[in-house]
This record gives sequence, C-alpha cells and structure tokens, in this order.
Amino acid sequence: MSEVQYTPRELLACVAARLISDGESVFVGTGLPLVGALLAHKLHAPNMMAIYECGAVDPEPRVLPWSVACSWTYHKAPTILSMTSVFGHSRAGYADVGFLGGAQIDMYGNINATCIGDYDNPKVRLTGSGGANDIASLCGKVIFMGLHLPERFPEKCDYITTPGFLDGPGAREKAGLVGGGPWRVISHLGVMGFDEETCRMKLISYHPGVTPEVVQQFTGFELIIPDDVTETPKPTEEELRVLREEVDPNQLFVF
Amino acid sequence: MSHANERLFDHQLAREVKLRKSRAEKDKRMPLKDAVAEFVQDGDSIVETGFAYVRGPMAAFWEIGRQRKKDLVGIFTPGGMNTAWHEFGGMEGCHVAYVGVEMRGLISPFRRGVQNGTLKVYSEWSHGGLALSLLAAEKGVNYVACKSMLGTDIMKTNPYIKEAEDPFTGEPVCLVPAMYPDVAIIHVHHADKFGNGRIWGPAVNDTSICIAAHKVIVTCERIVDTLDIRTNPYQVIVPHYCVDAVCEVPYGAYPGDMPGMYYFDRRLQERVVRVEWKTAESTREWYEKYILGTKDHFEMIQLIAEDEGMNVIDYLKKLEQLACDASFYGLGTWGIGGEREWKYEEVAKRAI
Repeated sequence: MSEVQYTPRELLACVAARLISDGESVFVGTGLPLVGALLAHKLHAPNMMAIYECGAVDPEPRVLPWSVACSWTYHKAPTILSMTSVFGHSRAGYADVGFLGGAQIDMYGNINATCIGDYDNPKVRLTGSGGANDIASLCGKVIFMGLHLPERFPEKCDYITTPGFLDGPGAREKAGLVGGGPWRVISHLGVMGFDEETCRMKLISYHPGVTPEVVQQFTGFELIIPDDVTETPKPTEEELRVLREEVDPNQLFVF
Repeated sequence: MSHANERLFDHQLAREVKLRKSRAEKDKRMPLKDAVAEFVQDGDSIVETGFAYVRGPMAAFWEIGRQRKKDLVGIFTPGGMNTAWHEFGGMEGCHVAYVGVEMRGLISPFRRGVQNGTLKVYSEWSHGGLALSLLAAEKGVNYVACKSMLGTDIMKTNPYIKEAEDPFTGEPVCLVPAMYPDVAIIHVHHADKFGNGRIWGPAVNDTSICIAAHKVIVTCERIVDTLDIRTNPYQVIVPHYCVDAVCEVPYGAYPGDMPGMYYFDRRLQERVVRVEWKTAESTREWYEKYILGTKDHFEMIQLIAEDEGMNVIDYLKKLEQLACDASFYGLGTWGIGGEREWKYEEVAKRAI
C-alpha cells in the first residue's frame, strides 16, 4: 500500500475540520479557517452553521470564498444581517466556536494582530483586530491557526489585540470577558490546548515527522508537554479527496 | 477649522448639522466629480462603508485621489485600498479596526505610513467596537456598554473608549461613545434621485454610518424610479433625508465586489497591494498612471482592461455568477443581472 501524500497545509485544514462538531455554530475567519470549516461541513458536520463578520449566517457556499465578506459567503444564506447583529448574537450565546489567525500567540493564548515591536514606533505594522477581538471576547471557545516559529509563539505578545487568558487564571473573568477563551492552537508542527489550572499552553499532539522536542524548540516559551501526547493522525484518503475535489479544487489556500 | 477628531464625538454638533438638512424630496443627482468637490473637504474625517473590497465606494475614493484632497482622517472598519491616499498627502491620520486584504496581505502604503510615522493612528478598535460606536450614533444613544476589547491593549491605545463598572451588575464593561464622521460615501445597487438606496447582500454598518455622518454621498449602479423604491422598500438601507448627493456610477465598486453583480478583481488586488505598492515610488507610479492619469473611473477600468488584455468586467461578472446567480436572488427582476454588456463609451455617457 502506498503512503498517502499530502501537503502541510492540507494536514492543517484536516486537523481544523476535525475540531468542529456537527451542530456547532462557527465564527469563521479568513484563509485556512474558511477551508477547515467548509471541509467539516462536507465531511462530518452537515448541521454546522457558519457565521461571518460581515453579517452572513448559515450559507451554503458553492465554491470556496476568497474573503469572509464576499458574496460567495452568503450564497443561500437564510438571512444576511449586519456586523453589530452577528457580534451581538455571539454575545447572546449563538456562537460556539471562533476560528482565528494572527501574527503572534503567547503562552496564555493572547493574540497579536496589531504590530511587531513597540506600538508607538512599530517595526512592522499589521492589520489590527478586525473581528478577532470580538470573536475571542464573545464566542464559546477559540481555535487559533498559524505558523509555529519562536517569534510567533513568544512568552508575551508585543501587543494584545485579542484576549486569551490574559495574564493567567481568573484574568478573563476579572476583565469582564464573556466567552470561554482559547481552546485549541493548530500550527504546522502540532495541536496545542491549554492547561486547566495554569491556563498555559500545552501540547496535545505533534504532526507526523515532528517530535515534541521540535515543537518545544520552535516555541518561545516553555510548553507543557504531558506524558500522553500523541502523533496527529494523518489525513485520510476521504478527507483529502473532499478537500481537493470539493472544497478547494483550485488550490487557492491549500498548496 | 477644528481638527476632524474634535468633531468626531460631538453629538450636539452632529444634531445641529442634521437640523439644518432639508427633508424635502429633491433631485440630488449630480456627477461624481461635483459631489466629491462639494462634499469632501480637506481635513474631513471619512468613514469606510461596505466591507473594504465588498461594496466599497471605490470610484468615489479614486475620485478623491484625483482631486488631490488633503489631510483626510480615515475611519477603517475595515479599510482597504483607499489607504493609498496617504502616499500623496491625502490622509494624515486614521482610526483603525482593520486595514488589509485578508489572505492577500497587508496594504503597503498604510504599513509604511504608520511605520515611518507619517500616518498617525489616533485610535485602535475592534470591528465590533467601532461598529457599535456608529450604531450608537444611529440609535441616538450617547454610548454603548459592550463586552469587546476588555483586558487588551486596545483599551490603552484608544483614548475614546473607557472601562467602567456596569451599574446594574457590577461587572466591567467597555463604554463606546457615539461617533459622527464628517463624510460617508455609500455604494448601493439601486438609488432613486432623492437618495433612497437599496442593496443586496450585507448592510454591514451602512445604515448606522448614513445616519451618523454629517454629509452623505450615495453612488449607485443604477438610478431607479422612486415608485420602484416606494413599492419595494425592503433592503433599502439608506433613507433619502440623510443624503446630500446621488451619483450613478456603474461598476463603482470595482476593483471590489458588488454582490450579485460582479466579483472582486483578486488578481489586480493581489498584484497591486503586494507588488505595485511595495515602495513609495512604485505606489506613486501606479497612482499617477491609473488614478491621476485617467479622467474618471471608466477610463481607469478601460486602462486596466487594456493592460490585462481582456474585458475585466465581463470576467468578474462570470466569476460572480459561479457562486451567486443574480436572477436567483431576484436581482434579475431589478434589472441588474448579467445582461448589461461592458461598453466604455455607453457606460461613461450614462454616468454623465
């Protein structure tokens, strides 16, 4: 039997899809989260509902959108609302999962999408929050996706755009935040979660070809590595078929 | 003249401006050039509508560039390609929730401007926070108490919002004051000559923005009869009484997306934001060729079409219909399906 061939981004899309359960409502960010959500919808979560910050809810996308606001995201949507509506509905409790990206994530799951370096004199100016802050403040739980490099996983973000557990246990409640906070981090090296007691990032699984030591080497802080970490299951042939043929046939995001 | 930021949260001034506006149904149609010349003044704050490259009033933004307006203050919720104004002194500062083109990357002029200190960022927001600020203005409340932005550095880098204790529950809340920008330009599918504007797709924040802003220009794909609007008021997101000018600008959202009509020009956008705007010099070259070197939006599209060696509008219409068949949504009955051929001379003539 020949080995299943796949690219790193295809693995990420499959891992993301597996984290979405049927019947969940998912606040979707741009890029790979879009791919993961659509893949989950076609594989095991037909009753999953997508929410987009422009105001689209529960569409039946025919092709993969290039943006979280373009008309492909509201194909056959039962209603198209406004920005304040969809964030308001998240606060009310209608958004189970938020799917985000960003330039940096720290050990407490805080995300930076504003600047690298000093805010007043930035080395690199980034996009700013967009809906990410609202999604992480209001949704049930948050999944982060990004590249795994020491400077992208620092002990402390240069700027906290989007709240994780802030500075540790109890901080979200003290700040008055509503949603459950960070839940999973998907990087090109592994899948991380957060320790219940300390709120610190911990390894759950490492991707094929990687070891826990490598994940630690590419992390700018001390990662909790429990004894029961496992290897991330490879994409199945069925996952790859749906991904390549139905979700992203033009290989816009997964290459 | 006061700085735009001093007017931005002044609800008394905003009310005075609106008390002076005529409620009469009068014909407000005019060429885009005249509308921009009259209603966009140097130093004004100007708010993005639509969702950056989705139903954004791009033709109007390029026209602002063409007329060399100076020292505008941008309000980006989110902001897109109009941040290139900065390279020509068109924009001195901004209030930012998001500036970028998602997967297609960051927008170089904005990034450059902030990094070298020539473009001031007056305040950071989340999308939801800034949207609520505009909503507060529309709903007639002084501020909104919300649960976004708490605990983050946004609270420290936005001088306009405040953390407070909810007097009902004792919990921390973030107070967001009502915002009243000087100018809003909204691009819609249909408008009548009085300014009632109808869209298909998400309103995003546009109704709030129209009521909040001191001056409102509506650009539209097509002028329709008032009877059409009055007998079918659904999806009319702009009421005529807040509108100062109505301009018919077919393909006015290009290179952005116009839901149900044409998709955004991803190839152009990617090339522009990643390559052609990479340095200040190359941005200037692009701007001089496509914006300053053309007399209007249609000539610009024509120039791009020549460069690409294809009918870009036709291509984008087909792309849109891949996922979103206009007739399916009833847009066909509104007469804005894929029936209209792109002919520069005709479209330019129609738009005065």
